[in-house]
Amino acid sequence: MNTTVRQLILLILISAGVLLPSFSFSDDCTNIDEATFTEKRRPFVCFIHDEHNEKAGLEEDCALCHHTYEEGKLVADESSEDMACSECHAKENDPKQFELTATYHQRCRGCHLEKKEGPITCGACHKKAK
Amino acid sequence: MYDIYAIITGPLAWLSFAVFLGGSLYRFISLYQLARKKDGAVFQYMNLAYALRSIAHWLTPFGARNMRLNPVMTVVTFSFHIALFIAPLFVFAHVVLLEESFGIHWITLSDRVADILSMVVVFSCIFFFARRIMRPEVKYLTTWVDIVILIIVAAPFATGVWVFHQWAGFPTMTLVHILSGELMLAIIPFTKLFHMFLFPFTRGYIGSEFGGVRMAKDW
Ligand code: HEC
Ligand code: HEC
Ligand code: HEC
Ligand code: HEC
Repeated sequence: MNTTVRQLILLILISAGVLLPSFSFSDDCTNIDEATFTEKRRPFVCFIHDEHNEKAGLEEDCALCHHTYEEGKLVADESSEDMACSECHAKENDPKQFELTATYHQRCRGCHLEKKEGPITCGACHKKAK
Repeated sequence: MYDIYAIITGPLAWLSFAVFLGGSLYRFISLYQLARKKDGAVFQYMNLAYALRSIAHWLTPFGARNMRLNPVMTVVTFSFHIALFIAPLFVFAHVVLLEESFGIHWITLSDRVADILSMVVVFSCIFFFARRIMRPEVKYLTTWVDIVILIIVAAPFATGVWVFHQWAGFPTMTLVHILSGELMLAIIPFTKLFHMFLFPFTRGYIGSEFGGVRMAKDW
């Protein structure tokens, strides 16, 4: 058998190990900004709003996430629960919503890192349904 | 977990970029000086047209005789190198991180394509490894350093696939993924991986000498 044939066989054997990914979504939890993220690439984060904020001790601090800004300055004790984050943070002509995604990651992962509690890796937040 | 994550995505990330860029610059300067001192003729022989001609041939799949003699190796090498660069630069997860840190983003691959490209890199490395231990003429030249480099190159891609599919233990694997990527970047200037920068010069020189002095083809 010449080397070319042997190399080919080797290559085929190696490639045979390719695993096909399976995609699925979980649906029990609040889907954040479902209407804005139309081209989903990752499963939604299972964010259980009240439970999360209770466990994280954020019940008094709604404005940490639901903040309001006036002329570029954070308004200390006013909150914006009646608005979705995307109303201010989404870009209209960006189907992939890079900026909105980055905003969520900064707020959510940022705190988890700081508090050393809560998920910080992609897959730990965007869990695939088992 | 949190402390390690903070360190490897913060100071260590910067360190690996600094070592990569600083080390490469250092290698360039010292190699240039060495060539000036030891072998000044190199600079006289250099000929842009012959250099580019040779580089073009060696960048064309099956453009050199040796590539036609080893078709499987040629296909694997070309797809390996393409995947090696395209996957990490354009995988969606990396571009999102760029947006978070620097407010910039660019075009991205679909996750499926990035997944396949990463596997191409991993399986190519396995192929290179097998070749290194199975073909006598290659085995003869192989040292343990070659094997270690192969592992370091395959590691970020193998762990990337792992993490993307969320296989068992993926949070820890994420750390290994980041760390191994940084390690790969940092060793580039000091190992044969530096051929990513030296290639045009070595090929260009050989092309110049063959074209301008020996009046022969070097492909
Ligand atoms: C960790 C960040 C965070 C904190 C703290 C937080 N929220 Fe929210 N809240 C969210 C996110 C994210 C959404 C989903 C927004 C969306 O889908 O656009 C949301 C949604 C809501 C909604 C529903 C809005 C809608 O359009 O359906 C209400 C009401 C709300 N939050 C009230 C509160 C109140 C009251 C508090 C304080 C007790 C609070 N939130 C604290 C992140 C937070
Ligand atoms: C009323 C509009 C508005 C809403 C609603 C809003 N934001 Fe913001 N947000 C702003 C503005 C304005 C800024 C400051 C300018 C900037 O950095 O883009 C900002 C800044 C931020 C920043 C970066 C600055 C920092 O504090 O580090 C994050 C992260 C963020 N917002 C997250 C969120 C999240 C998460 C939500 C939803 C729970 C949300 N925002 C809802 C207007 C809003
Ligand atoms: C101010 C800090 C803070 C912010 C902001 C925050 N988190 Fe958390 N998060 C925590 C803490 C603390 C925990 C751990 C609580 C616990 O014991 O489950 C946690 C846990 C979680 C968990 C795991 C819950 C579980 O049951 O295991 C998820 C998922 C999560 N956060 C998602 C988010 C998302 C999504 C956002 C942004 C919209 C966010 N977090 C913003 C502090 C924060
Ligand atoms: C702390 C939790 C958290 C972590 C860690 C995290 N994300 Fe997200 N991400 C979110 C939230 C919240 C959203 C808003 C919509 C949702 O739930 O998917 C989001 C949105 C996204 C989106 C846009 C929506 C979509 O599915 O197309 C992408 C893509 C994404 N994240 C990818 C990643 C990647 C890649 C990583 C790792 C580098 C990562 N995320 C890490 C919380 C997280």
